[in-house]
Amino acid sequence: MDPGVRLMERIRARDVAAFESLYDGYHRLVFGIGLRMLGDPAMAEDLTQSVFMKLWTAPDTFHGGSFVAWVSRVARNRALDVLRSRAARPETELPCTDMPLDGALDEAVIARLDAAQVRDALASLPPEQRSLIELGFFGGVTHQELARRTGTPLGTVKTRIRTGLRSLRETLAQKVSR
Amino acid sequence: MNGPEEREAMLEQVALYALGVLPRPEAAGVAAFIASDPEARAEYDSLRGTVDAIGLVAEEPVDSARSARMKERLLARVRADVRDGVVARRRLGPNPGWLWATGLAAAAALVFSVVTVVQDVSLRGDLAAAQRRAATLQTQLAQTERVGQRDRQMLTDLVSPDARRYDVAQGTVVVRGDRVYFALSKLPALPKGKVYQAWTAPKGSSTMQPSLTFTPNSDGVAVIALPVDATRVGVVAVSVEPEGGSKAPTTTPTFVRPLS
Repeated sequence: MDPGVRLMERIRARDVAAFESLYDGYHRLVFGIGLRMLGDPAMAEDLTQSVFMKLWTAPDTFHGGSFVAWVSRVARNRALDVLRSRAARPETELPCTDMPLDGALDEAVIARLDAAQVRDALASLPPEQRSLIELGFFGGVTHQELARRTGTPLGTVKTRIRTGLRSLRETLAQKVSR
Repeated sequence: MNGPEEREAMLEQVALYALGVLPRPEAAGVAAFIASDPEARAEYDSLRGTVDAIGLVAEEPVDSARSARMKERLLARVRADVRDGVVARRRLGPNPGWLWATGLAAAAALVFSVVTVVQDVSLRGDLAAAQRRAATLQTQLAQTERVGQRDRQMLTDLVSPDARRYDVAQGTVVVRGDRVYFALSKLPALPKGKVYQAWTAPKGSSTMQPSLTFTPNSDGVAVIALPVDATRVGVVAVSVEPEGGSKAPTTTPTFVRPLS
């Protein structure tokens, strides 16, 4: 089981030691997502503080499943909120990542992956697929903006993202089954 | 959905939705599609976990001084929380915007001390402006978060495996917990001066009570959350009504769906 799941159970009982362990185990991930998305260490630090305080004050918002997947979504959504709040662009030009915080089918797979495996899997994608997926995940931009920034037709962007995500899914599944 | 090409295009959109690169209006339409189409739902479920995994690549060593500082601040607040006996479900955490606003306020306070010393009246104006901006930023962020939380709840409910789904010709009625949504994607265009209006009837009653009015987008898509307690609703319906809505349906309903 994802160690974060057990720690969250203890945090519900206001166990400070569990909170400390949770921070030790996951702050690099939360800070890293903040840094990649916001591009500023101070803001990433604020985001990390904010996410972990949310875990402490509202542990019931975690409903089980993979903790690492869940906390990644929380961090990404939080970073998007920050990008939105400071954006001069209209809402229709901002991406919506307000997706469910609850589980996905592959959570058991994610719980068995580490950063190096995912990096390897991403690196195995054709560069034109990988760059779109990474920019889409961390960039806080829409598919139209992806097309503009990369000079790629919108239809091609859609196809590359779909094909790339499907390939990534297969590669990750193979890595876990080995 | 008019044909295989349009359907394939929508399935392609599901991957974009899973990656989180669709703007809000399109995202709502795709969520409605996922809620009503098993193949789309399977595609979404399979890609969503993959997208979650991408976040792992961001994990990097954090400078030890920064790491220790963050931990110290967090633990100080957590211990104070425990010491004070505050088993909080309220939001204590400073969000980035809050700190941002606080930073501005702190900067303004610093400016204020200078003002006091040099008696510079123009700086007082700057201070007031900075304080107003800090307040505005705080309000904007709070609003953004409220909208985000509401939309996240809605999208979570729409694609949740444990939601109850009731098919209608124009899409799906989704019920999860005490919340009820219309995820409609095949609504005919409205005549000028008309809107769609939702209706609900309490359990055990056939009397329709007026609810929201709404207009679909140009593709016939509308995703709305009804402001009712779903556990008390027995029937939902939609009809075409004059702008501003009606007190009782004035046209043959577009659909009537018992929630059972």
